[in-house]
Amino acid sequence: MAAEQNESSHLLMLLPALLVPLGLAFGSTNPSVEWSFLIIVVPFLAFPVIAVVGQVYNRQRWWKEGLKEGGTIALAALLLALVITVWLIGDYLTEVLLFKGQEESLFTWVTFDVLIQTEAGWALDSSGCAPQDGFCFSGLTMGVWIDAITLMLLFVATFLCFLICWFSIGYMNTDSINEDRNHRFYAQFLLFSVGMFGMVLADNFLWLFIFWEIMGLCSYLLIGFYYWKPSAAAAAKKAFLTTRVGDVFLMVGIFVLYRIYGSLSFEVIFDDPSTGLGGALVDVSLLRWALVMMFIGAVGKSAQFPLHVWLPDAMEGPTPVSALIHAATMVNAGLYLVARMVPFFDAANGGLAELADVGVLIAWIGGITAFMAALIAFVQNDIKKVLAYSTMSQLAYIFTGLGAALWFLAHGSNHEMHVAGLVVLGASLFHLFNHAMAKGMLFMASGSVIHEMHHAHHSSHDHGDIRVSPPPEGVPEALDNLIAYLKANSLTARGFFQLMDLDSSRTLTVDEITNAFRVCDLADVDSWDVEGMVAAMDRNQDGEIDPSEFDSFLMDYLIAGRVGTAASDDDFDPQDMRGMGGLAGRMPVTAVAMMLGSMSIIGIPLIGGFWSKEGIVGGVWEAVFAGGSMMAVPAMLVLLTAGMTGFYMSRMWLMTFAGDHRTEYAAEVVEQTPWIKTPLVVLSLMTALGGIVLALLGVGHFLAENGLLGLVDHEGHPVGLFEALLGLLKHAFLPDRPEMMLVTYATIMLALGIGPFVAARLHGGALPASAEANRLVAWLPALSAQAGRSEIDDLAESGFADALQRRLYFDEAYEWLIARTIMPFAAFAAWFDNNIIDGVVRLIERGSVAGSQRIRLITTGNARDYILMAAVGAFCIVLLLVGVS
Amino acid sequence: MIDPAMVSGLSAILFCIGLAGAFTRKHAIIVLMCIEIMLNAVNLNFVAVAMQTGEPTGWVFAAIAIAIAAAEVAVGLAIFLSLYSTREVISLDEMDLLKH
Repeated sequence: MAAEQNESSHLLMLLPALLVPLGLAFGSTNPSVEWSFLIIVVPFLAFPVIAVVGQVYNRQRWWKEGLKEGGTIALAALLLALVITVWLIGDYLTEVLLFKGQEESLFTWVTFDVLIQTEAGWALDSSGCAPQDGFCFSGLTMGVWIDAITLMLLFVATFLCFLICWFSIGYMNTDSINEDRNHRFYAQFLLFSVGMFGMVLADNFLWLFIFWEIMGLCSYLLIGFYYWKPSAAAAAKKAFLTTRVGDVFLMVGIFVLYRIYGSLSFEVIFDDPSTGLGGALVDVSLLRWALVMMFIGAVGKSAQFPLHVWLPDAMEGPTPVSALIHAATMVNAGLYLVARMVPFFDAANGGLAELADVGVLIAWIGGITAFMAALIAFVQNDIKKVLAYSTMSQLAYIFTGLGAALWFLAHGSNHEMHVAGLVVLGASLFHLFNHAMAKGMLFMASGSVIHEMHHAHHSSHDHGDIRVSPPPEGVPEALDNLIAYLKANSLTARGFFQLMDLDSSRTLTVDEITNAFRVCDLADVDSWDVEGMVAAMDRNQDGEIDPSEFDSFLMDYLIAGRVGTAASDDDFDPQDMRGMGGLAGRMPVTAVAMMLGSMSIIGIPLIGGFWSKEGIVGGVWEAVFAGGSMMAVPAMLVLLTAGMTGFYMSRMWLMTFAGDHRTEYAAEVVEQTPWIKTPLVVLSLMTALGGIVLALLGVGHFLAENGLLGLVDHEGHPVGLFEALLGLLKHAFLPDRPEMMLVTYATIMLALGIGPFVAARLHGGALPASAEANRLVAWLPALSAQAGRSEIDDLAESGFADALQRRLYFDEAYEWLIARTIMPFAAFAAWFDNNIIDGVVRLIERGSVAGSQRIRLITTGNARDYILMAAVGAFCIVLLLVGVS
Repeated sequence: MIDPAMVSGLSAILFCIGLAGAFTRKHAIIVLMCIEIMLNAVNLNFVAVAMQTGEPTGWVFAAIAIAIAAAEVAVGLAIFLSLYSTREVISLDEMDLLKH
């Protein structure tokens, strides 16, 4: 009890963050929008504070215990952002008309001078206008743009960042591997949040891009948080480089937009997207290219086919990072960008009808990704990887929905199509909300599972200590010698490995190692136990040492000072679902949270994601029926994916929580810290009830049109709660047209019936008899046990399953492509730089050195002689000048 | 008021003294002082011309030259100091590294 009180005292830190915006709200006459810049500025100022103070006062008790290594500072900054966001939303809802598309310019950042031709010649004009061409390039300002989409994303970002920061305090600060490094985590986390908030609030494409890149940087830093693990370092690099491909396209797209409109400000561009600089009609083919380029940027950021390869690897980061970046916020940036493009397409309000094909492209990319990611998720055994692929698939849903919405809106001269477009757009953005909430929670729940599995595993061995096998005789000395030898000869571990590997077999034997140690004179090999060392090195116990075993052996010694842990210990992976099972009885809060999250993602009727997913699937099909034959493929794919989602999400839940404990550790798991449970409970409520409440309030309409949030019927008249609920249910379950009815029930049947049923047959099972599960979840394993059982070992070993395991060979294909194209070019560039560019410089340098060496031999070397010569020379010049004049 | 021609004359005399010193003396610091004398002779000349024409350019030039001379002396003394600490001589006759 005392410990708990101690923990809750940390929350006192949050009080100022709560009071300041409240004080502003009630004490100041300025509207909330004028304070909205604080959402960006406060975390931006807090991030260096955490980084610097954490570095200086690292390991001090007050910093570690009192401030949770900066965690509470970050939490306070995020709470302030959250409260201001809520205030903004409140203002927006009460004064919605006054507020519509509110823009607040904070300052002018850059102004452009234009070179103009006057009668006297060329002159600079600081107004940025070139009168003879009839256009003006406007300067770049920094401002805040607020509409319904901004507010929705801002709420998602601030709310989830706050909860995930809360979760991190429980997750990161209790793991010994993060000890004394957490201030870096919180600083990067906060900077990342700044990137997301700033991107959402930016009022022009340039600032959007800048904050977009801040997020990219922080994503790199956070994925590589465990930078000493080669896999984490590689994953960070991969994420950075893959998204960079998209970002280059985005940048080009933004440049083209600037060329077309002479401005990057939303206000100027969206005022009338069909006219560009100086009122000239926009060249549609150019604009189409700009939008496609920007879409490629979004594809990179949101991990869509074909730039999806980075997201699964990004799970190398700590779990809060996965929750934050790769589920709740950063991947939404791409969706936000596409949603921002809506005015270009909105033909009823000055958009361009010719852009309809871009909408089709977006829907296709979305459909393909949704299907492919769901397929790969079938065979993943790592709980976070399943969620990663699920994220990809759900984002693809939203892209498909946005594509359909853009297609509809581009045909918006027809009023019905326009309305249908707005409905799908609203559904897509609503799904973004539902998915972010559910996925943030799922990741936190998976983090909770992993955390507790890890703890259970540790505490079952020597009460929390890592078991260390006693080092074989003489090995530490030999390793010290070896490391000194590597340093003295500037060899890498890999390089030394290749030297030792006499037969080039890429594996080492005892003889080879003995030989190498003798030749390099590292140890008196006859007197000590080489075989013992090799046995300690050989993790997979196949009798041979491969390069990675050698690397990690040396790393273990260098970093931890230990020589080889027992192989069976290291094989345990706390993220592997095959090691879990039956956790429903051990972790009630997590199990309920995960169940609700999965249900929301699957789209179980009445829960969270159902309302929005139904809207997307229905909308895409409606586009097919309305004459978009090109939409048929994505429509079919998202329909199938609904069932596949039902399968892989149920599979994940059942493998983790139902059936027998598959390892001894799974039976010892307990939920511990309140820091982890609280956000799970909050988000469970949000996921379970948020969907239906917001659907009742007409959130789709609100998001798509900046409409009102409130209980309304289809014509927009206010109604009572009961009528609104009835109308909503009728709209969802009894659509007017029979073909839509078919689509609706096919989706529900696939998602609710077939998918989970198959999963239950394969992976379901009752809890062990001793377990006492919470009643909220106990019914699920029991139900799954009744589905019967079928074994699929044959299928699991088929070539197709193997291809899915290897992620359909995308990584291999990209590697092959890069090895054939970029690597030779890079090699050529390096050669060119070394030999041509540096060569010219070296030539000049050598020539002048050689020349001066020759010349200096004919001098006396005495300073006074030089003074004399200079004086005589000066005298001669004076004489000459006098003589000439 | 002093005749500008007199100032110019003084400047010429100073310059010759400095030049002769720079030619004849061995001690590096004295040579440096001689160079300073020459520099300030030129400054005097600037001032003289400025007095005559009444334009401020000459005054400004003199002020800038004094500032630059200060920097130059600092560099020169630093070179001699480090030379002295490495070779323990300060005679210009011994300093003919460029030859070898």
